[in-house]
Amino acid sequence: MEIIIQQLLNAAQLGAVYALIALGYTMVYGILRMINFAHGDIFMVGAFIGFLLATTVNMPLVLMMPLTMLLTAFVGIAIERVAYRKLRDANRMSLVITALGVGIFLENFVRMVVGPQTRQIPAQLPDKILTFGSGLVVTEDKLLIILISLALMTILWLFTNKTLMGTAMRAVADNADVIPLMGINLNRVIAVTFAIGSALAAAGGIFYGQAYSIDPYMGIDLGWKAFIAAVIGGIGSIEGAVLGSFMLAGVEVFTVAYLSSNLKNGIAFGLLILLLLIWPSGIMGKPMIKKV
Amino acid sequence: MKQHQTTKPMSLITKLRTATPSWSILAIAFLALSGVLELLGDMDYLNQYYLHILIIVGMNIILVASLNLVNGYLGEFALGHAGFMAVGAYTAAVIATKIGPPGLPTLIIALIGSTLAAALIGYLVGLITFKTVGDYLAIITLGFNMIIVNAIQNIDYLGGPRGFIGIPKATNLFIVAICVVLTYTVLRNLVYSDHGRRWISIRENAIAAELMGIDINRAKNMAFTIAAAFAGLAGGLWAQYQQFITPKSFDYIKTTDLLVMLYLGGTGSLSGSILGVVFYTVLMEVLRNVLSMIDPRLAELRMLISPLILVVVMLTKQSGLMGNREWRWFSPRKEENTDESCS
Repeated sequence: MEIIIQQLLNAAQLGAVYALIALGYTMVYGILRMINFAHGDIFMVGAFIGFLLATTVNMPLVLMMPLTMLLTAFVGIAIERVAYRKLRDANRMSLVITALGVGIFLENFVRMVVGPQTRQIPAQLPDKILTFGSGLVVTEDKLLIILISLALMTILWLFTNKTLMGTAMRAVADNADVIPLMGINLNRVIAVTFAIGSALAAAGGIFYGQAYSIDPYMGIDLGWKAFIAAVIGGIGSIEGAVLGSFMLAGVEVFTVAYLSSNLKNGIAFGLLILLLLIWPSGIMGKPMIKKV
Repeated sequence: MKQHQTTKPMSLITKLRTATPSWSILAIAFLALSGVLELLGDMDYLNQYYLHILIIVGMNIILVASLNLVNGYLGEFALGHAGFMAVGAYTAAVIATKIGPPGLPTLIIALIGSTLAAALIGYLVGLITFKTVGDYLAIITLGFNMIIVNAIQNIDYLGGPRGFIGIPKATNLFIVAICVVLTYTVLRNLVYSDHGRRWISIRENAIAAELMGIDINRAKNMAFTIAAAFAGLAGGLWAQYQQFITPKSFDYIKTTDLLVMLYLGGTGSLSGSILGVVFYTVLMEVLRNVLSMIDPRLAELRMLISPLILVVVMLTKQSGLMGNREWRWFSPRKEENTDESCS
């Protein structure tokens, strides 16, 4: 029983990181109908900004995390401004390929700046070992990562549902053609979306760098995983992205624990295909209705 | 009233432009050229490095052109091409090592085997894939790519994650050239046949195409199966050229490379696929050489320059270098006379 709870907590930790990335995917998709393939690499850039701040100037986590999120948000805004804005009305595939190009650029740029080695962000979260009941062992940092991530997601939910800007974002997601006619600055809404998505990804990057290790190419793998989580949940839906992330992480962690670590990807993707055949637009996604 | 076309005397330039050589002459000339290059390479007159680049270009042309069938002509966004390449590569590896003595018959059997195996897997994958469209289709094809790679990693007979070692080397430039010509002849004939028209009509408007009586699922699955078959062929060539294959080399990073070359060259254009592959490969090699000539430490910079070029091309010319256009001599003659734009 304790082992299962511990695995559930491992899954929650991994799922929290997936969710922080998946939210950026789902928000950008909701607004631009675009798969931002560079998003996984923005996550990686965030992790390395955090790594540099923590190692070169020994910045404490309380300061390093907000600053990293802010800087990464600017990276996201800059990418949208330079590479995506001009293609907004173009063929969607050229947008996707541009995003791929941006992603490759970010990977190689970080590789040139910090080198290809695997690093770890110095542990700054308290990592005392807590024991509950009869032998349930949990480290504090794992709990903190899960709790802070959940807090960030709650803030995002409140932002999109309770503020004016959040309402504008949902409106753009609903119908991007009419919104500019309502006097809403479309460019600003899109910039804010990219900023939020990138900042959340940066938070995910810092957590990932504390719990596991980081390298310039990690964004490809984790980006795909998070994207899959977003699709399982129903891309465009914030609640769906979170749900899908925890589900994917759960499947992965339990496959590794009880079957074989070699089967991890195969089972995760098999499940994805199965789920998509049952719910073609994800669990919480709105079905696409096509008018003739 | 007499109705007849006034025949103006053609200028020399127009004459030269319309006097395009026929496909078979071009194909034979291309084969002869690659045969000569291969012989020169064998006799050490030509640097093996250039031969290597030409072989890589040839294999990538097969891969990109077949991907073009699905992503360009059919207009779906498939992301799993490297998976079918893996099926072909591993089939060829097994056939070449377990069946016959190294030689031409084994090579041919291995290539046919890899093509058929990839076509079969492609057909089965297509049955499931085309229940969805759009982004979900992209993800499902990507998922199958990962599943194929993951399955190979878990089969000890195929070497598992360590890879398959000791495949006899049988592929050379001439063999690759034959396969390129074969691929292009088949693809060109398909694209300009009624099958091709069906795919293009599905791309332009699937609902209208269905109303015209096209069996959409059948047409889509056919394009997908053929694309997978040629990816398998390229995989078979690859395995018997590299002599060592690992599952990792067929994951989505390979697919991404192919996508970059495809969209750089332009979708819906067979000549664009050639242009994209040649442009990208040559650019990478030239950058590598020029930069390391200036300063060896700069060689890394090409990794930054090449994605930048991709982004700039996309920003300035969204349909790629040759999007939905063909070189004049690429399209069949009848079309040239009726349609100036050679769509």
